[in-house]
Amino acid sequence: MATTKIQGVRIAGIASAVPDTCHPVSEMAETFGAEDVRKISQSTGVIKRYLAAPKLCCSDLCYSAAKRLLNELNWDPTSVEALILVTQSPDYPYVPATSCILQMRLGLTHSCATFDVTLGCSGYVYGLWIAASLMAGSGLSRVLVLAGDTQTAVSPLDRSAALLFGDAGTATALEKSDASSPLGFSLGTDGAGWKNLIVPSGWRRGRIPQTTPLVRKQAEANNWRCQDELFMDGAEIFAFTIREVPPLVSDVLATLGWTRDEVDYFVFHQANKFMLTHLAKTMKLPLPKVPFSLHEYGNTSSASIPITINSQLAEQISQHSLKLLMAGFGVGYSWGACTVNCGPIVSPPVIKVNESEAWQC
Amino acid sequence: MDEKTFVTDIEELLEVDAGSLHPAVELASLAQWDSLAFVSFLAMADSKYGAKVAPTELRACKTVGDLMKLVSK
Repeated sequence: MATTKIQGVRIAGIASAVPDTCHPVSEMAETFGAEDVRKISQSTGVIKRYLAAPKLCCSDLCYSAAKRLLNELNWDPTSVEALILVTQSPDYPYVPATSCILQMRLGLTHSCATFDVTLGCSGYVYGLWIAASLMAGSGLSRVLVLAGDTQTAVSPLDRSAALLFGDAGTATALEKSDASSPLGFSLGTDGAGWKNLIVPSGWRRGRIPQTTPLVRKQAEANNWRCQDELFMDGAEIFAFTIREVPPLVSDVLATLGWTRDEVDYFVFHQANKFMLTHLAKTMKLPLPKVPFSLHEYGNTSSASIPITINSQLAEQISQHSLKLLMAGFGVGYSWGACTVNCGPIVSPPVIKVNESEAWQC
Repeated sequence: MDEKTFVTDIEELLEVDAGSLHPAVELASLAQWDSLAFVSFLAMADSKYGAKVAPTELRACKTVGDLMKLVSK
């Protein structure tokens, strides 16, 4: 596992945004039956989530979060030297990179470096690691990491996914600071899990002739989806998680020489409640130290760690320094964890974005 | 491992009546053996029996007795 310790960088603020359209999972009772929805919701912990109206993109949510964060921090947009966008739902499927468009929309300078990173569950930690590494290595002073997804590729007739995911976009501001304590990172990959969380068609490998109509077929049990929609093998993902996450947590604690007990909060990617509860139990982590935001926002992919901080820890983290262990794991398979003394930071309440605020290109 | 304890664990996991299961019971005959129960079994194997069960091995199980063999390995 790749482990590193990075000095001289601090997290200055985190902001999150969701669409203003809230969808309780109970509204899916007509499709799946009330009893099934209740059972699934009890297991996943998702009671409601925010889903983007057609015109609203992940980039719009990240844009609103970034705008708000720059304002609250009183950062001039022209002082941002690099922007990293972590998303699996870019504005355009091929080119250009959405981060380039966001450079323009946010009014960042032409000397700003921008690029996209295509990761999901592990993406937030990867984004922090890339940003912190760049800052330590190249002397950049201010970097924005935007992370989020809009789950347009989920079949409404697939109960394994339709009741789980929510949409969100986030912004995290990092700045150089000689006084700050180090960040610890541990990252890993097991590509053998590629086929267990995948949208099969759409790009070069899974290309299907454009003349082929996209028809949902019965996949398993009562789940229907087409090749353009997300497939998730929940059992395989669960098995992968319980295999890889406990050693990941131990490894990242070791990078800074921390013990489990001194961590204030274990902020996990909000995969689902059943999985997180199981992980906490087997790793003997006290549940009050494991914040959840699933009930409100669902599984929001790379946005789930920052939105959990903004929605569950805002009051504390805006006043004090907290010892956080963040860990993301899933699609790829890819995983990453970060240990950091974080706070006080700017942490505004979660922003609600209307479809009318979508970019008018 | 005690067969009786294991069968009781499975009955609790599936929320079926105590005493209704025995090792020869076919999993396919149980309406409760659904995808949620499948993942719950993986979790129980890990936390209670310390067994990291591969979903492919679990899929190959036909009876309650087969489940017991998986966690006794």
